[in-house]
Amino acid sequence: MIVSAALTKTTSYKVIIPFYAFSALSFLTAAALLFRFAGEFTGHYFQPHILAITHTMALGWGTMMILGASHQLVPVMVEGKLYSNFLAGLSFVLAAAGIPLLVYAFYTFSMQWPAQYGAILVNAAILSFLANLTGSLLGSKSKNVHAIFVYTATLWLFAATLMGLLLIYNFTLPIFSKDSLHFLSLHAHLGIAGWFLLMVMGVGSRLIPMFMISKYTHEKLLWTIYGLVNGGLLSFAFIFIYVGSSALLFIPVIAVAAAIALFAVFIYQAYSKRIRRKVDNQVRISLFSILLMAIPVGFLVIFAAMLILNRVDTSLVLAYGFSIFFGWITAIIFGMTFKTLPFIVWNKVYHQRAGLGKTPNPKDLFAAKVFNVMGTAYLLGFVLFIAGILTSSHVLLQYASFGILLAALLYNWNVFSVIFHTPPKK
Amino acid sequence: MNPINANTKIAEVIKQNPDALEAIVSIRPKFEKLRNPLLRRLMAGRTSLAMAAKLGGCSIDDFFVKLEPLGFKIDRSVLPVHADLEPVPDFIHSLRKGQIVDLDVRPILAAGNDPLNTILEHIKNIQPGQVLKVTNTFSPTPLIALLEKKKFLSYTHTAEENQIETYFFKTPETAEVEPELEIQQDWDVILKRYQGKFILLDVRQLEMPLPMTTILEELDKLPVVNALYVYHKRIPVFLLPELTQRNFDYRIREVADGEVHLIIFIP
Repeated sequence: MIVSAALTKTTSYKVIIPFYAFSALSFLTAAALLFRFAGEFTGHYFQPHILAITHTMALGWGTMMILGASHQLVPVMVEGKLYSNFLAGLSFVLAAAGIPLLVYAFYTFSMQWPAQYGAILVNAAILSFLANLTGSLLGSKSKNVHAIFVYTATLWLFAATLMGLLLIYNFTLPIFSKDSLHFLSLHAHLGIAGWFLLMVMGVGSRLIPMFMISKYTHEKLLWTIYGLVNGGLLSFAFIFIYVGSSALLFIPVIAVAAAIALFAVFIYQAYSKRIRRKVDNQVRISLFSILLMAIPVGFLVIFAAMLILNRVDTSLVLAYGFSIFFGWITAIIFGMTFKTLPFIVWNKVYHQRAGLGKTPNPKDLFAAKVFNVMGTAYLLGFVLFIAGILTSSHVLLQYASFGILLAALLYNWNVFSVIFHTPPKK
Repeated sequence: MNPINANTKIAEVIKQNPDALEAIVSIRPKFEKLRNPLLRRLMAGRTSLAMAAKLGGCSIDDFFVKLEPLGFKIDRSVLPVHADLEPVPDFIHSLRKGQIVDLDVRPILAAGNDPLNTILEHIKNIQPGQVLKVTNTFSPTPLIALLEKKKFLSYTHTAEENQIETYFFKTPETAEVEPELEIQQDWDVILKRYQGKFILLDVRQLEMPLPMTTILEELDKLPVVNALYVYHKRIPVFLLPELTQRNFDYRIREVADGEVHLIIFIP
């Protein structure tokens, strides 16, 4: 294992595919739960089924997908190789065991051993990934801004999962001075802004221009974005823990909003300087996800204003969380799955064919039609669900969640048909 | 002067009287090929008057009428030997209307384009038990050979001049036909083809995404006769769809781990 890890240049698909498969199934699970408990999105957000759905989305769907793609992309981004396939496999096994335990614990709302072991396993998985990332970066020639984004994001992820672990123990042991609900927003934002936002920006600023074949880059702008997100997060944590003043919360909100606006500018510049005039639907939905970032930002501004008035509407919080996990993160994963997975599988199936004559085009490994229907079902479901939350309409929520469930089914169909792709018989 | 009949070879006719060449050419413009000495040597020795009539879509009498004034003795009692004519296969006898898919490629030919790909596209969609009827101005011999290898049954008949109908019958045993029916050309064949015409490009030291953009820039100015030989660290999977989109073809060879060579060319 160690020997082969030292020799391989491209990360073995064997360690990457499981992440994609797990991620797809997690999304299906979350969509099924959403469909089953759609009506609960008219109440408070701190309740078993919604916590289960949130963690299925955040860990099972978003995080597993990013971990899988990172094992493939980080070595390419830093012109090096993955430090260890073993650690990659280990982080998968630990996370794949931990996430279901944790979700089950939230679902039954028992904070005993399943929750505790689940959280410990997830943390071990993140540490394993962090170690692998550290080794890969140390052994690489180029430590560019994108790699720093990815590394910092992973540190924030560890902070978020470690805090999650402490919050679970806080149900049974007096760790914090206050109950766990009080700390929820800090825990959530370490994950959302620290892990997802930085990661998407770091990887997206490299990949999205590449998919549009654009030579645009602007390192200084990326460093500014980096400073704004991290500064915003640090100031948020500081205000949250030491100050507790609501008025000051505008500072992190403005910082993160500015970072997102600058990131949108960066992507727009890359888009306008692209060589490839025709943008495919996978990139289109990824570009759309950047626009979707405006929705949570809008909610944040409203929250900051409401906190001053000292009353936050729970349906707005639900809509905020939903627009992040089912909106922005889901849209970008939809796009990026089919810009990465088919290529990984293509490499696995066709790279050994001597001369590689007429092989299928990597992008033909998935069904574009199914992708387009999925995108339509998803968009309808997403918009209607937000409307359903804001109007507390059970009917809307039920129909909308069906659209999302349909999208999840089609997504899985496409992902697994790529994973199990076999070469056509000649 | 030996009498000539339906089975006399054209070469024999011309040998007896060289003026026969012009007489035959005057029957059908198609026969102008015979003026070319090389083609004449190739064809005239093997083609009887009956075969020529079939190819030209005319009757044997057309020949006799033109040749008689030149002093040829005609023996009309000899029946043409049908050994060279295809027997009508069973599937033609049992054809029903709904079975036939019609494809007239003459407009494509008139526009100066090769109809082969259009025919193959249609062939791909033919179901077992269906027949593709291709109408053409000549007998598509290479296509027949190609599809018979795939176990298609075929039958060609000349309806009239410039209307040669070829039927391709798909049986359950027929192999699937890919649009790219050309022979798999592997690395070595392509390497030989462009020997001495390669433009070398080394992108191993470039940082992502420069390898891809550099290759695409090089391809933008690649002359048709040349091919690009790329030294790369890995298979550039994201480049491949771009190449296809730009109508380039490529071959890839993994020399060692972390050492990949590509040939990119215009097919």
